[in-house]
Amino acid sequence: MPTVAAFGINLMSLQPVEFELLFGIGLWAVVFGSFVVLFLIVSIATSFPLYGAAGPGRVLAGMLRGFKEFVSPSPRRVYAIASLTFKESIRKKALLVFVVFAVLFMFASWFMASPSDRPDMQVRNYVAFVFIAINMLVLPVVLLLSCWGLPEDIRIRSLHTVVTKPVRRNEVVLGRMLGFASVGTMILLIMSTVGFIWIQRQVSDNVELLCRVPVYAVAGPEGVKFLDRSGNPGAGVNVGDIVETRSFIEGGTRATGIWTFPLDEQADTLKLESRFEAFRTFKGDMNRSIRVRYVLVNEEKSLKVPLPPFEVDEFGTNEMVVTRTQKWTDEQTLETKNVDIYDDLAVPSEDGQFGSLVVQVQCLDRSQYLGVSRGDFFIRLPDRSFTTGYIKAVIGVWLKVLIIVMSGVTASCFVKWPVATFLSFKVIVIGQVARGFLDKVLSGKQAGGGAAESVYRLLTHMNDTTALPENPLTSFIQLFDHGLQHLLWMVKFMIPDLRSFGMSDWVARGFDVPWGGVMLPSIAITVGYFLPCVLLGYFSLSMRELEAK
Amino acid sequence: MSDEPVIQIRNLTKIYRDFWGRKKVQALNSLSLEVNKGEVFGLLGPNGSGKTTTMKLLLGLLFPTEGDISILGKPASDVSKNEKIGYLPEESYLYRFLNAEETLDFYGRLFDISAEERKQRTNELIEMVGLQHARRRQLKEYSKGMTRRIGLAQALINNPDLVLLDEPTSGLDPEGSQDMKKLIENLRDQGKTVVMCSHLLADVQDVCDRIAILYGGELKELGRVEDLLKEQHETQFVTSHLDDTAVDEIKAVLDKHGASLKTCGHPTSSLEDLFMKTVQRSKDRPGQRYIPSAESKAPPAESETADSGS
Repeated sequence: MPTVAAFGINLMSLQPVEFELLFGIGLWAVVFGSFVVLFLIVSIATSFPLYGAAGPGRVLAGMLRGFKEFVSPSPRRVYAIASLTFKESIRKKALLVFVVFAVLFMFASWFMASPSDRPDMQVRNYVAFVFIAINMLVLPVVLLLSCWGLPEDIRIRSLHTVVTKPVRRNEVVLGRMLGFASVGTMILLIMSTVGFIWIQRQVSDNVELLCRVPVYAVAGPEGVKFLDRSGNPGAGVNVGDIVETRSFIEGGTRATGIWTFPLDEQADTLKLESRFEAFRTFKGDMNRSIRVRYVLVNEEKSLKVPLPPFEVDEFGTNEMVVTRTQKWTDEQTLETKNVDIYDDLAVPSEDGQFGSLVVQVQCLDRSQYLGVSRGDFFIRLPDRSFTTGYIKAVIGVWLKVLIIVMSGVTASCFVKWPVATFLSFKVIVIGQVARGFLDKVLSGKQAGGGAAESVYRLLTHMNDTTALPENPLTSFIQLFDHGLQHLLWMVKFMIPDLRSFGMSDWVARGFDVPWGGVMLPSIAITVGYFLPCVLLGYFSLSMRELEAK
Repeated sequence: MSDEPVIQIRNLTKIYRDFWGRKKVQALNSLSLEVNKGEVFGLLGPNGSGKTTTMKLLLGLLFPTEGDISILGKPASDVSKNEKIGYLPEESYLYRFLNAEETLDFYGRLFDISAEERKQRTNELIEMVGLQHARRRQLKEYSKGMTRRIGLAQALINNPDLVLLDEPTSGLDPEGSQDMKKLIENLRDQGKTVVMCSHLLADVQDVCDRIAILYGGELKELGRVEDLLKEQHETQFVTSHLDDTAVDEIKAVLDKHGASLKTCGHPTSSLEDLFMKTVQRSKDRPGQRYIPSAESKAPPAESETADSGS
């Protein structure tokens, strides 16, 4: 099954990033406020040449009137326009997409995994296929509908008979958004229901469909730390692995990876699960894998409880059930006594209700390396049903549908449908695929510099790691790129970060979708884009002469 | 009709500009006029004279370059004015995937009209415009005249005080035109204000109380129709049939008073009157057909009741 990151299926690595809601709201307010102020300044500045001294007054009066209109939309009219939009989409044969969907699912099993495949691979393939199919069918349909609707309405002037009724422009925008979102939701619901039944029927009887609930190490530098081969704080070894988030622990030395897990629930047993990568520098004993050991640690109480070593399953998961009470031997007195994970080993912390548990991971085989990242090791809580995870993954697609509808309708308020389609498509692609690249360019980590520098390097056949020569031209190029970066910075805050929306990745890997790191940011981003989109759409439509020649 | 103005236009100017802000065409130049409550007001002018632009400025579909508009006491940019306005555009820009009932229900929902009242008004209006037989057909299957009728019905769904009709008889057959004119007169009888623009002068003459004639975006004439049409320096008599002797005697009397007889003959009715009479007769006596005379090259029609048409 290919990795299709563009549609949210990235099976390579799941790295949960905690989302700070309050920080997010604060950032949203700053960015939104900045754009409003910028808009106001530009409007007032452009009103002078148009209307002279009366310009600013007209702008402010217009905005005040607009604000009054904007805050009092009529639900009845919005619903009427939404119903019309829904009816229009259905009668214009949008549901033909189901024909393609049906054909796909009728023949998919011919090319999919066989029942002899590993259970986790079966689930991964089927879930990934269903969500790739849904994404590829629903999103383009919604994109085209939302970008075509309003411009077509303006072109054939049917909108004239609407806006000459007591209909405010924000009601048109809201009604259109609601209507297209309803169409997308209906298509998504039907397809995801069919997909769910299809998965249940396809997987072998011996495959258990479930969603594991992981508790990851706390976010930030305190979550996962490393000790180097001498036992001093440091970073893991970089072996040039394809998964950039992984660091490597050198075996047979004091090199250690340290995870700090928040403890929010008490139980008699604790299930530790990991999926580490083994990196061998020599063949070694091929009949066994690399050996690893967990150590439960409380530095303050000088408690260290080593758990039994185990061999890493290089292509599967390592599960270990740890009882609440462990035996601890005092190295000085050699006295052995029972320690309780929650009462003795847990460190008081604000991260978890019952404190935090520190677990060290060591590789025991000399000259072999263990590849780890934060998401590779977690405490596994009682599993949730597959249905729960599946529904959450569908919600992820649904949120993407809403983002597309909002951007499509907003763009179609001020440009014609081809441009609106292109614009919205780019927003989605950049938001999902190029977001990491954008961050890299803005943080200066992208080799080769900015746009102008890249052109210079191309023309002069200079590779991207060689330093630029110092001369007036390169100084100007760097200054130019610096200016462009400011623009790029604005673009970054205007384009939604859709990386967390691919919730099906988690379900395909047999995980429940985390709330804090995945669902919450996706919901917050969707909600955060709603007001600016409606506002932009409203002012674009209001300032536009629908009959302009 | 009262002197209370429903529409006040002051120095209205509209200049269409291109993308770069350069002047493309001046559609209106300092237009000032008022429309009073309860009157049928006609905006006349050749193509490109600014009639439709004026209408669209009134509705807020265009923004004035200069000047002010007050409509029902509110500025044209105020959306709430539309609560009491009905608008029939030049072409019926309706949603072609809806049928007549759905169309009227949709537009009714844009006003504060209850579901029950919407249903009642929908039925009344469909009957009024004569589309009972096609109420469930999608508008894309309608002829131009039928689309015009449903367009008119949507303009009246909110029982408006002010009705703006852009070329109301365009696309209608003479019978439809006649119905439309009757409807406009009905609206006037109900105390509503009607503003219509048209270049079909006969239509305007038939129904309008006052007219404004625009040319090149400027107001050229404004006043009551009969005042503007009255030829003060001529007198017209229409009598029952007179023989030649009587006509000669009348000429002699006119000579005596220093006047000359300009025309004398049998008056003709309008083509519209002829058409309406023919249609009415066809309805009254179905099956009756016109049989061409023997000299005519046209093949004779089969007829149950042979009767030459007049």
